Amino acid sequence: MKIRFLLPVLAVVYLAIPYLWGGNNYVMSLLVAAFIIAGVALAWALLANLGGMVSFGHSAFFGVGAYLSALLCINYRLPVLAGILMGGIGAAVASIAMLPALRLRGPYFALAVLAYANIFKILAMEFKGITEGAAGVTNIPALPTVMGFDFSSKLGTYLVIVTIVLLFTGSYHLIRVSHYGAALKAMHDSEDATRVVGVNSTLLKAMMLFVSAFMTGVVGAVNAHYINFIDPDYAFDLGWTLLPMVAVVFGGYRTLMGPLVGAVGIFMLDQLVFKALIGTGHQIMLGAVLAVMVLFSPDGLVPLIGDKWKRIRRAQA
Amino acid sequence: MLKLESINVQFGGLAALQDVSMEIDSEDVVGLVGPNGAGKTTLFNVISGLVRPSGGRVLFNGIDVLRKPLYARARMGIGRTFQIPQPMHELTVRENLLVAQRFGTGSVNQSKIDEILDFVRLSDKSDRDAATELALTELKALEVAKALAIQPKLLLLDEVLAGLETGGKRQFIQMLSDLHRQFGIGILIIEHDIETISSLCKRVCVLNFGELIADGAAEAVFNNPEVIKSYTGESGA
Repeated sequence: MKIRFLLPVLAVVYLAIPYLWGGNNYVMSLLVAAFIIAGVALAWALLANLGGMVSFGHSAFFGVGAYLSALLCINYRLPVLAGILMGGIGAAVASIAMLPALRLRGPYFALAVLAYANIFKILAMEFKGITEGAAGVTNIPALPTVMGFDFSSKLGTYLVIVTIVLLFTGSYHLIRVSHYGAALKAMHDSEDATRVVGVNSTLLKAMMLFVSAFMTGVVGAVNAHYINFIDPDYAFDLGWTLLPMVAVVFGGYRTLMGPLVGAVGIFMLDQLVFKALIGTGHQIMLGAVLAVMVLFSPDGLVPLIGDKWKRIRRAQA
Repeated sequence: MLKLESINVQFGGLAALQDVSMEIDSEDVVGLVGPNGAGKTTLFNVISGLVRPSGGRVLFNGIDVLRKPLYARARMGIGRTFQIPQPMHELTVRENLLVAQRFGTGSVNQSKIDEILDFVRLSDKSDRDAATELALTELKALEVAKALAIQPKLLLLDEVLAGLETGGKRQFIQMLSDLHRQFGIGILIIEHDIETISSLCKRVCVLNFGELIADGAAEAVFNNPEVIKSYTGESGA
């Protein structure tokens, strides 16, 4: 992202939003939820855009991150921030189980990963001695208070999740502009063409899977410490994959800002507009919005806005 | 440098390569010819690692590379082009070469990239999108350039002249004849045009139905009755 865009974004998320709505718990909780989805959406887009893999299994990484961090902090009194980091690492380690699926392509990969995700949910359900089974894990330690500032408050959690999402965005950008990013992009259409020039395509795809799983695990862990309770149905819910996917398609999965704009936009639209209009079953509107977006701008909202902006600038010139 | 020992490749009931053995030195520019379906590209796929043979050994600088994956063989110095150009999508011409150089050699050397771009006459196209903005001749040149970017010791050129119009072909033949001299690498080239092969290669190997039926000096090979028969179906005697 260019610096002239980055500074206004930082000013809005760290200054304007806390100043305007920092005391409004409802708005802050909406933003926290939106950025949690944005974090997963970004991780999902990284795997799809760079790794060329459409995953239905991100709920597994989200759940593993949530459970590992919660259990380590409860049972071993690990500091919450260390627990969150371990949650990310645990999710990356869990993704090793999905490595054999990297040999598969297209829908076969997506289905295999969906099956893996379900296995993790069953494990969390069945290993009651560790995970408390269907009863779930309660009293998960909240985010800490640092120098008098309570990070477990709505505003505090917002600042934590926004910082994490921005760090992930920066990491995604760095990978994308590196030679690894170029090779990954090139692999989509001609994997053999990259392998014959020395690119270990399987390793690169595995690396993207680890990075994506780590990011999702971290976000899952933050969420666990935010709501202080998780059970297998919630932590491994397929919605943790589907809603970010909708957000990514809505925002534009090939752009850096698409997943973020899509997640915040689609979640706010759903919660503030569709919920007020329909109430029960308001999610159906998300499907309609997605269908309209795919029909009129398959590349998503951010490229659409970018094109319009360029046209306006050209017309003014 | 490259030694093939009794290579056999079976595709179902079809013997694509049968007991093929040959050696190529770093000084060699060898033509590989034969009718369609003779097994030429399959042999390239075996050497580069796209196809694993059912029998035989592939030795490169004395190392058996048969179990080494495609990317590892590229890093060892086996470069290749594809019959149908496969530019890396979404990348410019220069980025194509940078990726090849970075992963093929482990480092990036911009002046070397410039030298290669200059050699294949793509310097003025270096910022173009490789997949959508190049003509066929330029795409073929990019194939060669990518293979050169990994600093190969052996270059496998698969019908790089196919589909080119006369002017482009002439330009390409000149480039190929300079290739060995300027970069000092061994070259194995598949080409259907006998005249072109004769002008580029002193040595020619002929495959027919997966068997190596001739290997020797170009003139002698093209006068070999068995070779003539393989092309025309008639005895050359």
